[in-house]
Amino acid sequence: MYRKFDPVSGKNAEIIEAVMNSEEVLSISPSLQFKVRLCVEEVEENILSYSGTTWVSIQAEENNDYLTICFKDGGTPFDPLAKDDPDVTTSLNDREIGGLGIFICKQMMDSIEYRHEGGSNILTMKLKTA
Amino acid sequence: MEVSINKTEVKTLVSVIGRIDTTTAEKFNEAIAPLMAPDAGAVEIDCSQLDYTSSQGLRIFLMLQKAVTANKGSLVLTNMQAPVKEVFDITGFSSIIKII
Repeated sequence: MYRKFDPVSGKNAEIIEAVMNSEEVLSISPSLQFKVRLCVEEVEENILSYSGTTWVSIQAEENNDYLTICFKDGGTPFDPLAKDDPDVTTSLNDREIGGLGIFICKQMMDSIEYRHEGGSNILTMKLKTA
Repeated sequence: MEVSINKTEVKTLVSVIGRIDTTTAEKFNEAIAPLMAPDAGAVEIDCSQLDYTSSQGLRIFLMLQKAVTANKGSLVLTNMQAPVKEVFDITGFSSIIKII
């Protein structure tokens, strides 16, 4: 499955549903679909909130028992994975509101990688499906 | 996403149905705003029909817990589905919000 959203503004829900309704994602178990929905939402929220891009493309592929989801955008070069993980052991008063989205993806996916190539931010997530 | 709130003499019973995500987070935030009031008292949220939450939902649960603690009330989440519980677990939210 491949879709490009241009312009992307306000398409948050549409992007998620496009991935969730793809053949690649419909064929995996509900518990894996939950993880995909969550990670796609977290990544695209991050892109749409911070990158300043006007477009986003998203690709989903399944092969060799791995689902690969690749996001591309034309925004400011930014590696969301470089940020320190939030401290998830602090007390209630010290908890910060926010910063959890990418951390969740790191925990839920089997791998997540970022590169900047050809003027685009490229984030690739892999999830073992079998 | 739907929220129902029933105030009894001893506690406020809340039920959340559906998904808290990028589309519904604001609605959820508005729906539970009364629970952040100083007189909210004991709050119990039935999560048996909460199918999903992203970090946007977690943020709201965190704000609610902070408000409840500041107001010397109590908050408990009940009957959480396993995938949603996993989100609370990996983010450490299970240790700051009571889940039974």
